[in-house]
Amino acid sequence: MKDERSMILLIGNPNVGKSVLFNRLTGGDAVVSNYPGTTVDYTKGTVLLDKKSYTVIDVPGAYSLEARDKAEEVCVKMLEANKNAIAVIVLDATRIERGLYIALETIERGLSAVVALNMIDSARDREISVDSSKLQKILGIPVVETSAVSGEGLKQLGDMIRKARPSNIKEIKERSEGKEIQPETGSKCPGCCGGCGGV
Amino acid sequence: MTVSLSCMEYGTQGVITEIKKYSRELNALGIRVGKIVKMVTKQPIKGPVVVMTGEVVVAIGIEMASCIQVNTDIDPAYIRDK
Amino acid sequence: MTLTEDERWALVDRISEQVIKSGTYKQSLGDVLGELTVKPLTGIPVAVGVLYAFWSVFGSFAGTLCTDGFFVKFFDNYFLPWIQSVWPNPDGILYFLFVGDPNATNCFEAFGVLTSGLFVAIGVVLPAVFIFYLMMALLEDSGYLPRLAVLVDTFLHKIGLHGYAIVPTILGLGCNVPAVTATRILETKKQRFMMMTLIALFIPCGAQLGVMIEVIPESIGYVMLFLIIGYFVFGYILSKIVPGENPEILIDVPPYHMPQRDNILKKLKMRTGGFLLNAVPFVLFGVLLVNLMYLFGFIQWLSDIMAPMFVTWFGLPKETAGPLVAAFLRKDLAVAQLSVIEMTQYQMISAVVLISIYFPCVATFVVMLKEGWKELLAAVAVLLSVAFIYGGIIHAVGIILGVA
Repeated sequence: MKDERSMILLIGNPNVGKSVLFNRLTGGDAVVSNYPGTTVDYTKGTVLLDKKSYTVIDVPGAYSLEARDKAEEVCVKMLEANKNAIAVIVLDATRIERGLYIALETIERGLSAVVALNMIDSARDREISVDSSKLQKILGIPVVETSAVSGEGLKQLGDMIRKARPSNIKEIKERSEGKEIQPETGSKCPGCCGGCGGV
Repeated sequence: MTVSLSCMEYGTQGVITEIKKYSRELNALGIRVGKIVKMVTKQPIKGPVVVMTGEVVVAIGIEMASCIQVNTDIDPAYIRDK
Repeated sequence: MTLTEDERWALVDRISEQVIKSGTYKQSLGDVLGELTVKPLTGIPVAVGVLYAFWSVFGSFAGTLCTDGFFVKFFDNYFLPWIQSVWPNPDGILYFLFVGDPNATNCFEAFGVLTSGLFVAIGVVLPAVFIFYLMMALLEDSGYLPRLAVLVDTFLHKIGLHGYAIVPTILGLGCNVPAVTATRILETKKQRFMMMTLIALFIPCGAQLGVMIEVIPESIGYVMLFLIIGYFVFGYILSKIVPGENPEILIDVPPYHMPQRDNILKKLKMRTGGFLLNAVPFVLFGVLLVNLMYLFGFIQWLSDIMAPMFVTWFGLPKETAGPLVAAFLRKDLAVAQLSVIEMTQYQMISAVVLISIYFPCVATFVVMLKEGWKELLAAVAVLLSVAFIYGGIIHAVGIILGVA
C-alpha cells in the first residue's frame, strides 16, 4: 500500500461533505474496512486519474491531529503510516477557520497536499466570499473550489491532485505576514490587530 | 460586565475573554478567546448550552461552559464590523 | 518546523482574515429550523414526533406491509406446504433439522432451517433491517442527530453518559454490532464501557424488534418500557460504580443538509448487504444448532437444571430455557421460539425482556471482544447479574400487580 504517491487521503473536519466527495471521486466501489487494532471503520475506494489508479481513503473526520477520540487517533495513525500519500484537505467553505487548523497540521507533517474548498455553493448562498487564489498563494499548495453535492470543481480537483505538493509552514507564516495584503481583503476594524481573533 | 457563558441570557452576545479549562477541545470546535458568541439556547435542568460563533454552532456541557468567561459589554459596531 | 497550538491558531486567524469576507449574515430557512429543533420548547415535541414517525414507519413497513402483507402469505401458503411435500421421509433426522414439524401450518412453528430459518431471516428481519437503515441514513445525513443529542443530553448526562450516546443507542435498535463499534464517539473508557454494556443489555436489535412486532404486537410496548426503565436505572448504577470520568457533551451542531440520494443508497446497500452476508448464515446455523441440541436432549437437560430458577425466580415456564440458549445465537429466533410456548401475557413480556438483556448475541459478543477481553469479562459479569436481578424484579412487579 505504501508505493510512491498512489494513495490519496481525504482529511478534514466532520460534516464537511467528505464522504459525498469520496463517493463522487470513487464511483460505486467503496469498501468499508476496519483499522487494525481499533474498531473504527473507514471507507476505501479507487479513482483513475490520467490513467493512473489511486487508492482513496476517507479518513475519519477530525478537528486536530492531537487526538481526542478514537476516530481522531485513527486519522493520526493513517497519516503516520502513509507519509508518501497525497492529502486532500477538505474544507467547508462556510467554516474555513476551523478546518485550517488541521490543514496546517497536515502540512507541517510534510505531506503533499491539495485543498478542496468544498460546499462553495453554500458559501455563495451565505454571501461568504473566499479568495481561493490568495489562499493558494499563502499555503503554497493548490486550492480548488468544489461542491461535492452539485459536482462543481470535481474535475479540476482530479487534475490538481496530481499537482499536490508539500509546503513549508515557515514560509506560510512569512507569506501570511507579508505586507502584500490587498486593500479589499484587509479588515478595517480597530479590534482586529495581530492574533486577537476575528473573522 | 463579564459573566460565565453558562449564565448568559438567550439571544445575547459577548466576546470570549478567557477559557479556564478544556481550551484545546473548545478551540478545535471554534470556541476561542476573542470570538463573539451568541447564546442560541440553554437546555433545562442543567442541560447543555448551544452557542453560535460565526457560522459555527456548538453544544457545550454546562460545567464546561462555566469555565468560559464572556464580556457582554460590547460595542454593537464592533459586532457589525466583524 | 512545527508550531505551538497558539501559534497555529494565530496563523489560522491571519490567513482567514486575508481570504474570507463575510457578507451580512442572513438566516436561511435551514438555520431557522436548525434553531427551532434544538430549543427545548419546540425541539422536544419535534424529537418526540420524529421518533414516533420512525417507529410507526418501521412497524408499518416491516411488520404490516412486508411481513404480513407478503412474506407470511408466501411462506405459509406456498413455501411451507411445498417443502413439506417434496422433502422425503418426514420421520427422518434431516427432515426434522431442515423442515421441522411435519404438521406445522405456519413457518414460526415449523422450526426447520429452511422453514423458520429462511422465513425469519428473509421474511421478518430483512424488511426490518432495510427500513431501519434507510431511516437511520436519512437522520444521519440530514444533520438531525446532533440536535437530538443536545436535547437528550440533559437526561443522559445524569447517568454518566452524554447526549451523543443517543447515536449508538439508536444504531443499536438496528443491530448491536455497529452500535458497539459506534461507542468510539464517546471520549472516555468508562463511557465506552458503560455504553457497550447498556447496548448489550437493554437495546433490542432490529431483527428482534421485527419479530416482536410480528408475534407479540400487543405486548411490545411493555417490553420496551421495561427496557427503557432498565437502561436508565442500571445506567445510573453503573455510572456510580464504574471508575473513570464522565466528560460533558461538546459537539458541533452542523447546519441541515438535504440528504444526497446516492449517499443514502450507498449506505443502505452497504449496511443491508452486510446484514445479508453476516446475519443470514447465523440465523440458519442457529436454527440448525438449536435443532441439534433438541435432538441430543441438551435443551431438555438444560431446562431441567434451570427449571427451579426459571419457575421460582423469574416466574416463567421451564420450556423458556431452550429459547434463552438459542438467544445467544440470534435473539430474533429466540423470540420466535418463545411465541409458540404456552404462557400468560405477563410471562411472555418478562421472557422477552430477559432474552434481550441476559446476553448479547454471538456477533455482538465478538465485536465486544475486539474492544478488549477485560472489558468483555466485566461486561459479561454485569450482564448476568443484571439479568438475574432485573428478571427477579420484573417477576416481583408482576406479583405486586397481580398479573404474574
